[in-house]
Amino acid sequence: MSEKIVKDKDGIKIRKLAELRTSTAKDYEGAMLKRVEEFKDIKGDKSGFNNLLQNTFFKALSTAFDLKVQVDKALGEDNLKKLHKAIDDILLLGL
Amino acid sequence: MYHLDDDEYLNVPYYRKTRSVCPECLEPIDAEVYEENSQIWMRKSCEEHGQFKDKISSSAKYYKWTHWAIKDKDGNVIWKFDKDGETNPPDCVGEDPRGCPYNCGLCEQHLSTCSLALIDLTNRCNFNCNFCYANVLQSGYLVEPTLEEIDRIMKHFRSKPIPAIAIMFTGGEPTVRKDFPEICKMAKDNGFKEVIVATNGYGFQKKKEGLEWTRKVKEAGLDTLYFQFDGINDATYEKTRGIKNLMAYKQRVVENCRKAGLDSIVLVATIAKGVTDIEVGNIIQYAIDNVDVVRGITFQPVSLCGRIAFEERQDLRITNADVLKIIEEQTGGKISMENAWYPLTTIVEFGRVIAYLADVEPIEFTCHPDCGFASYLVTDPDSGEMMPIMEYFDPLKVIDFANRFWAKIKHKEKKPLRLFEDLLGDFGKTLDKGLNFLDKTQLRARFLLGVLQYMKKPGKLMEMFSRLLMRGDWESVSSFSYGALLLSSMHFQDAYNMDIERAKRCIVHFGVAMPDGNVKEISFCTMNTLHRPNIEKQIAKQVTAKVRNEFDTTTGQAIEEIEQEIARNGGIKKKGDA
Repeated sequence: MSEKIVKDKDGIKIRKLAELRTSTAKDYEGAMLKRVEEFKDIKGDKSGFNNLLQNTFFKALSTAFDLKVQVDKALGEDNLKKLHKAIDDILLLGL
Repeated sequence: MYHLDDDEYLNVPYYRKTRSVCPECLEPIDAEVYEENSQIWMRKSCEEHGQFKDKISSSAKYYKWTHWAIKDKDGNVIWKFDKDGETNPPDCVGEDPRGCPYNCGLCEQHLSTCSLALIDLTNRCNFNCNFCYANVLQSGYLVEPTLEEIDRIMKHFRSKPIPAIAIMFTGGEPTVRKDFPEICKMAKDNGFKEVIVATNGYGFQKKKEGLEWTRKVKEAGLDTLYFQFDGINDATYEKTRGIKNLMAYKQRVVENCRKAGLDSIVLVATIAKGVTDIEVGNIIQYAIDNVDVVRGITFQPVSLCGRIAFEERQDLRITNADVLKIIEEQTGGKISMENAWYPLTTIVEFGRVIAYLADVEPIEFTCHPDCGFASYLVTDPDSGEMMPIMEYFDPLKVIDFANRFWAKIKHKEKKPLRLFEDLLGDFGKTLDKGLNFLDKTQLRARFLLGVLQYMKKPGKLMEMFSRLLMRGDWESVSSFSYGALLLSSMHFQDAYNMDIERAKRCIVHFGVAMPDGNVKEISFCTMNTLHRPNIEKQIAKQVTAKVRNEFDTTTGQAIEEIEQEIARNGGIKKKGDA
């Protein structure tokens, strides 16, 4: 359980939450945590999650995210600010 | 608000002038909003009825943050939480010299479009709550638009240049109407994307036909229940509704929705000091436990009606900031006041970008920053725990990028690329379509990269978010929003804290079919504070003996039945009840 239930002087149940984690929607938990896999299974070829090209793209992007967070840490705040400004300028260029 | 912690702005006492109303005579008066003892107050004075003072926010720091503006080096405001929205043409010319909010209809002083259209379907209800403004028994008259009148109101909202996307049926208890499924279908036929009912659960909870009825209304077009939910304890409902054993009734509603596949319930909790404030953590956990059908929670600090002395008012008054503090305390700091909450207006430009790129109608949250706050909890597929989405991004930087992005592309919304149509006819039209598709694809990629550079945590959730931004289809939206909860706190105004600047920016509008064939569009808080008695006098139908005695001529409980139930449960019977 993610909670501790106490009762106040009037007998009102009060839950002291320690973690924001579901405790009763068990059937749903699998779908919630593995939702991409769920869609893949249910919809088969019709699911965009089974598109090889898309999956390769998003996997590569995901790897890039990991790398980005490491680079952010290494750069330090001032350099990161400058980098963000440069990226913003490039992305907004020509719009 | 971490980015403002060392900012001089927070040390400057807050002060602004505005307009309000006298709580006694409801005439317009000047008001000041100011800081005192780290809280924000409103003071105003009526020549006839004296001075009034009321608390606007229990946290001056938080309040000031939500009124903060980004300025350029010359001191010009380039962004602020307080927005002027895009507006529809006014429905009427304000003839009352007192101005807003006495000319509702809507007049030219209104500064926002309607995001949520409201129709009171009835003032009949199977409950008889003491504090409710809509009650056939207390008012002595019946307010219940016909199907033709309802259709007229719907067409009014949908025919505007910027049409309302969502509609909510209110009351009374809307589900006591026998023709409720037909009304839901009518809303879909009129083009509303989201059809919502504000309900205590009556139609959905019935032991015999509740499940069948729930399936029927879902089929007819109902999308979401805005579900009155005061807590998980029967004792709390006994205090708020005067009826014992209501939790089982509430649970039946959730179960029937689950079985019928109606998987969008928003729990609505009215927060009153010492009554329902202790239930906040309980309600959040209940929502998480039922996250397969519960999509959000709206906390509503109680509005104060009638004549109430200052001291008593301060005992009762609870502000949005108080609610956010309570949420932080009762979730062990997991949903913190300082980092998890933003005014609803924060995402206006972000929403416009997303709507444009996904080819859907935008929802304009251009209300006042004091109206409400929201936080979005997502389930992290890597840890299984829910946390505010702000943990994954640097929110203000994302918003800042979205603002600049929107400023650059908004002209495209009004004027799509059209290079070949005039030259090559239909073939040129197809070429233009292709060009617009390619243009949107490159814009999506730019926007995605712009947003993701401010991401703080990688993982599966961010991968899903990328799919959502790039594809914008139902599957990617669903995969991202599975197990997500939208938390919000909405503080409706009363005559004591009415701020006309808020009223002008209201995005939740009642539609009322008037006897002359017109539809009056009236903002939520001014309807309930000022206009309701006068409007209802004009549209009320006579209460026949049948309505009076049987209470409900369609499917609601008869008055005798309610009285028996209250008596059986030992509940509180109101003074003066029949």
